[in-house]
Amino acid sequence: MKLLRYFTPPDPWKIPVFGLLAALLGLGIYTLNIANAFSYLSDEPEVCINCHVMNPQYATWQHSSHREVASCNDCHVPQTSVFEKYWFKAKDGLGHSYMFTFRLEPQVIQIKSEGAQTVQGNCERCHEQLISEVNLADNEEIFHGDGKYCWDCHVETPHGSVRSLSSTPQAQVPNLGSPVPQWLKKLQESE
Amino acid sequence: MSLKDTVEKKPWVGWVLFLLTVGVVYLLGVFSSTIVERRTESSLVNKPKIKINNLEPRNEVWGINYPREYETYMETKSMDFRSKYNGSAMIDMLDEYPALVILWAGYKFSQDYNQARGHYYAVEDIRNTLRTGAPMNGKHSPMPNTCWTCKSPDVPRKMKEIGIAEFYSGHWEERGSDIINPIGCADCHDENTMKLKITRPALIEAFERQGKDITKATHQEMRTLVCAQCHVEYYFNSDKPKKGVPYLTFPWDNGTTAEEIEEYFDDINFKDYTHQLSKAPIIKAQHPGYETYTKSIHYQRGVSCADCHMPYKSEGGVKFTDHKIQSPLNNIANSCQVCHRESEEDILKSVYNNMDRVLHNRGKLEEILVKTHLEAEFAWKQGATEEQMKDVLLDIRHAQWRWDYAAAAHGAAFHAPVEILRVVGTGIEIAQEARMKIRSVLTELGYTKEIPIPDVSTKEKAQKYIGVDLPKLRAEKKLFLDTVVPKWLDEAEKRESKMPQYDQAVNAEPKSKEKEQTASMLNK
Repeated sequence: MKLLRYFTPPDPWKIPVFGLLAALLGLGIYTLNIANAFSYLSDEPEVCINCHVMNPQYATWQHSSHREVASCNDCHVPQTSVFEKYWFKAKDGLGHSYMFTFRLEPQVIQIKSEGAQTVQGNCERCHEQLISEVNLADNEEIFHGDGKYCWDCHVETPHGSVRSLSSTPQAQVPNLGSPVPQWLKKLQESE
Repeated sequence: MSLKDTVEKKPWVGWVLFLLTVGVVYLLGVFSSTIVERRTESSLVNKPKIKINNLEPRNEVWGINYPREYETYMETKSMDFRSKYNGSAMIDMLDEYPALVILWAGYKFSQDYNQARGHYYAVEDIRNTLRTGAPMNGKHSPMPNTCWTCKSPDVPRKMKEIGIAEFYSGHWEERGSDIINPIGCADCHDENTMKLKITRPALIEAFERQGKDITKATHQEMRTLVCAQCHVEYYFNSDKPKKGVPYLTFPWDNGTTAEEIEEYFDDINFKDYTHQLSKAPIIKAQHPGYETYTKSIHYQRGVSCADCHMPYKSEGGVKFTDHKIQSPLNNIANSCQVCHRESEEDILKSVYNNMDRVLHNRGKLEEILVKTHLEAEFAWKQGATEEQMKDVLLDIRHAQWRWDYAAAAHGAAFHAPVEILRVVGTGIEIAQEARMKIRSVLTELGYTKEIPIPDVSTKEKAQKYIGVDLPKLRAEKKLFLDTVVPKWLDEAEKRESKMPQYDQAVNAEPKSKEKEQTASMLNK
């Protein structure tokens, strides 16, 4: 209450300040809406193609056998605990949105060290049995991804070897729907 | 001291705050518009050169926008692959399996039956087959217009123009100049979004009758369902929904196993033909590819038709779906080895290993069925009555249906080997049952000697035995192809010249080359 009182503007200022704050709020909601902001809380693979930069990754995954058992987050986000998961998502996501907004994304997207460790961890999470069977578990270096990752040999799993932005121009990916509400569209059509 | 007091004392602080907020709102607005701008980009990534019209039937028009898909589609022209049992070339199945002539005696399939070529030949081959007859000089084709349904993207165009039931009604030759472009783009794709789309009413109606909504299907399911528009078992229902119209219907109301479909046909007393020799009321299986595939391990694991028959392909660093729809055995690297990391040799071996075993048993059933038909014919000749033969005929009907369910779709022996072996097994049991019944009918009639079986071991001998006059049929067909079909093509060319022409398309191939391509397609 005290804080609210602190920020209350003097009487003659009240109307413009409220107006401006309302505009700020409204525009904020609009931005969250067109950016599909809340979808980022979910694990749906379609979330990763909210911006079209990841279309090749989505399309190549969609044509791999991993699509039946693992979606983007199963590999690219730590699954150790819910806190770690969302911490990683927030950190990574903010980085991505920054890169995307300022058009800093490269033509060929390559995974960085922290992401690679995460993926390696998730390979092991599901394929632990397999790794121990082929006796790789004893080889500390490989098991912990120091120096060697699973995909150093399994190059095409699951995205194939071609991953640039222009490599899947006609890949079928679900596109984002229009943010214009249906009733407005109808109104526009009738005119 | 509150902010209020500060602002009252020093109004410039208030103004600074105000202007800062204005700045923030402005930046937020700019941020929103960059998001909108980048959203729009995704629709420009794949910017088409021309606007394709609704239900555009000419595949080469789609090819202007999607050259890679079109080029690979055109490769369905190739006829150079032969696997152990099938392939992309035409195979005279009656020559390969003379037993079929006897099994289909009294039905047009006993005259002419080939293993199909690629989609590119769909229209050409339906004109060529003896089964559609030689409709000339007022003589009708024995087939209705319903037979065109799966052959061309001209079908949805025409259906939209005149209506579904109207499309199906009438004789086959009536739509000869309308159905020109072979199976292609508009059969499976929406022209605006390129999303997969069901264009044939029979599949939608079959789903509705089972209480399923096909519009709820996921993209991955659609990659199977667009194939299920045609690669299925079907029949022509002349009672429903419109009396006298051979309405294309899928018999799936009870389910899609051999037994469930058989029960459906028994309940409505349907038969495709009465067997010429045994007089059994036969159900001819068309090509229950979807039905048999859904009984397979690949289907259970979520693999779609397109995953193996249209795998991803990369060309010059660009990846796209290979539209050369063909046997995965001709492209094991892209089809099978995406999931199965064994060598090509091992994969091929295990495919043939399954097929060999299934086809061995299917062949046994085939042999037994031939004997059953001939023995039943002998029983009729010995004076058997309808009453005596009733059970026998029902058995023959069921056994032959099971054989055809296993055989007709060509791929079933690989797709669902376990299920197909089961179906063939029950077929063998029922057919042997029928033979024993024939034996006791003959005993009742006082005939106890061995039943004489005529020599029908080759296509020629078998066709001679059932009285198929191949040279006459072929001569009629040739005359039809030489006189009637060119007229159809002329009419079609005139009709299509009124459709939008796209010679001006940006970066399109030179006009002359495109024309040449179209012309060579029409002259085929």
